[in-house]
Amino acid sequence: MTKKARSVAAITMLVMFAVVPLLITPAGAQQLSDRAKQVGGKFMCMCNCNQVLTGCNHMECSTMSAMLKELNQSLSRGDSEDAITQMFVQEFGTKVYAEPPKSGFSLVAWVLPSVYLFVGTGLVVFVISRWRKRPPPQAAPAGGAPGISADLLERSRAQASRETQD
Amino acid sequence: MDVFGSFALVLAFVCAVYAFGGGIAAIFTRHPLLIKSTRQAGMATCGLIFVATFSLEYLFFSDNFSNAYVVAHSNRDLSTFYKIAALWSGQEGSLLFWSFLLAVYVLSVLVTYRNKNGELMPYVGVVMAGVQIFFLTLNNFVASPFKALASPGADGVMNYVARADGSGLNPLLQYPEMVIHPPNLYSGYTGFTIPFAFALGALLARYPGEKWIHLTRKWTMIAWMFQSMGILLGAHWAYAVLGWGGYWGWDPVENASFLPWLTGTAFLHSVMMQEKRGMMKVWNVWLVFSTFLLCILGTFLTRSGIVSSVHAFAQSSIGSWFVGFLVLIITVCFGAYLKNRDYLKSENQLDAIVSRESSFLFNNLILLVSCIAILSGTLFPVFSEWITGNRISVGAPFFNKVNIPIGLLLLFLTGVGPLLAWRKTSTESLKRNFGWPLGIGLVAGVIALVFGFREIYSWVCLILCVFVASTVGLEFYRGAKVIRARAGASFLASAVDLTLRNTRRYGGYIVHVGMVFVFIGLAGAAFNRDLQKDMQVGQTMQIGPYTLLLQGFDSKPEKNYTAQRMNVEVLRDKKPLMMLYPEKRHFSTNEQNGTMVAIYSTLKEDLYVVYAGDSPETNLPVLHAYLNPLVKWIWLGGAVVVFGTLVAMLPNRRAVLVLAGAPQPAAQPLAHGLTPSVTLREGHD
Repeated sequence: MTKKARSVAAITMLVMFAVVPLLITPAGAQQLSDRAKQVGGKFMCMCNCNQVLTGCNHMECSTMSAMLKELNQSLSRGDSEDAITQMFVQEFGTKVYAEPPKSGFSLVAWVLPSVYLFVGTGLVVFVISRWRKRPPPQAAPAGGAPGISADLLERSRAQASRETQD
Repeated sequence: MDVFGSFALVLAFVCAVYAFGGGIAAIFTRHPLLIKSTRQAGMATCGLIFVATFSLEYLFFSDNFSNAYVVAHSNRDLSTFYKIAALWSGQEGSLLFWSFLLAVYVLSVLVTYRNKNGELMPYVGVVMAGVQIFFLTLNNFVASPFKALASPGADGVMNYVARADGSGLNPLLQYPEMVIHPPNLYSGYTGFTIPFAFALGALLARYPGEKWIHLTRKWTMIAWMFQSMGILLGAHWAYAVLGWGGYWGWDPVENASFLPWLTGTAFLHSVMMQEKRGMMKVWNVWLVFSTFLLCILGTFLTRSGIVSSVHAFAQSSIGSWFVGFLVLIITVCFGAYLKNRDYLKSENQLDAIVSRESSFLFNNLILLVSCIAILSGTLFPVFSEWITGNRISVGAPFFNKVNIPIGLLLLFLTGVGPLLAWRKTSTESLKRNFGWPLGIGLVAGVIALVFGFREIYSWVCLILCVFVASTVGLEFYRGAKVIRARAGASFLASAVDLTLRNTRRYGGYIVHVGMVFVFIGLAGAAFNRDLQKDMQVGQTMQIGPYTLLLQGFDSKPEKNYTAQRMNVEVLRDKKPLMMLYPEKRHFSTNEQNGTMVAIYSTLKEDLYVVYAGDSPETNLPVLHAYLNPLVKWIWLGGAVVVFGTLVAMLPNRRAVLVLAGAPQPAAQPLAHGLTPSVTLREGHD
């Protein structure tokens, strides 16, 4: 890549993507306070829409209105987030959580993704180390599959090649 | 016509059973007539399913309200457009539609390979017929769409009756995308049957797994493209119809459609390892199996009522059939694998940790972790109820927290993977390939910080998007430069030429660019704003740079509903910009209400306006306005992904010499039957 071409490419990319943050402008005032939105986002709407309270997609949802009213009242009373949570859980049960609480059995839901990632990474590392230790293909007799003979594997491979076309 | 359709379905079932049983006999006897007759039985099955499907559509178009399914999902005033969509609007019809799309695929395979792959096809035919038998069993004996409406007479005998009009289609489904979203999504789900049939068939036939994988890849790409389109069209439907300002709510049904997409994506990447290096054969076979299993699992979740979802069909006993089928498939797959696993051994070794092979392994790891995390999150409410007795909801906040970091890691690998060489990547090559893209990405990040970008995930996403786009741009630039120097064509013509010479590789890059666009759109969600206000005529509302002026209301009577519209003038900098007409619709047939969102969409942001009903306190109409930045990039990205996939499916124009951009390590003898990767680069490599 020439110096000039590099500069052109770099400037083009910069112009293209540097405008992205400029595209975002702050909006005006909101009716629900930020606090209400933040707390409301931690509960599900109980109208079966399967959405968080502040994002219910049902038109004129009376359940959402009633729950938001309760939430606003609690916040204006100065109730803590824990107290509001207890209030909703008492009223609707544990279904009202938008995300599992990080205690008791629900903690499993939070731990599992990390477990998957660590176990998966361990497996990949194990596979990589095994593949690195494997002898080069020339040394392996026709693929080196231990359970079947090299001759049989070779014949199967030739058969597959012969019998399949794109 | 309902008797005709019903009869066609029964005959289709009989033909499928013959194709299955006869196919097994043909595998053992190799009798040419038996092979031919089972193939023809497979084709007849498809033809009869087409007849049944068209019969049901005829019942809709002829307003035959003696059929229970037509009564429940249509009415006389329903437009022709939606009478087509009514076919898949309920449990019974959508299962028939599933069989219909599966039949399209099966027929395509049987016709395409009628004179090819003679030894493999009986195995493939048996697997396809097996899947068809399952769905035809549901169509015939569990959820038939051809049930006549009947009521008991005075003598207690059931008499056929006909209603004057039907109950009408669910208002949420009366939207143009509902006519194209389900066919796309179902085409994805059903399409994964074909790679599954080839993978299982080849394993049963003891094929070592080099050549047949080519056949599988092509069909997987078709299914993957439809699945991608289906998911994005569904997201757009949710955005434009449901009126909550978002496009993805991590609903169980949405998740169910995403799971096979993730494993399908993993397969499309790891299959290159098998084609190029003869590695990951066991993994690939299980990825194909898992993708198909996830399609069936997703259908089970949607239809059994085991998880609550706004998109799910009515709760029914159909779930047990799906569980039985899932158990059967898993048993067959395990059995076939245990019996013939020796034919799937890898031959090659890994030369270095920093190599394309490793990047594919990590790409697969991330995709699979995401898939399992979404699956366990989706099923967690069920498990929590079983174990503790309390159902704990797992909503969007959980999935966002888990998947955003995973998605960013994947985006990073999207940029890294193509820059690494097969076998081994030298430090020099790393510096040369990563220097510019990484630098450009970081500079974009600094600029973003200067302009007040403070949302950490969006900021990282922006840097990675710039990085990935730069890597792809660099690849196109290097390739096109060589062609330009040789042919003297323009840079654009050289880039097109380059793409057509190696469609799989450069089509793949276009898909990556599409994904970058999608990620840009997703990053914008962190900056969403909304404002809700009870409005009187003449009042204004300010959101971002827009002023919304309520000019008045009008009523728009349509054939199937009555729409009340808000007439909202949009001003920007005190200058009129446009009129928006958010609607509230009333469907008198089923006494349901619906919304029709009005959107002013630009690349910068969407002004999204909803007529959110009337306030119970003030009796005034409520206007809910959202300002959603960058959403259009998602739909644009979807179009680019589809375009790139289509390009990748095109045959190469002619063989292409390796370009001088990234020096390849010395060629080594490859495993038998593999295409050498050094002289010709015909893959996404």
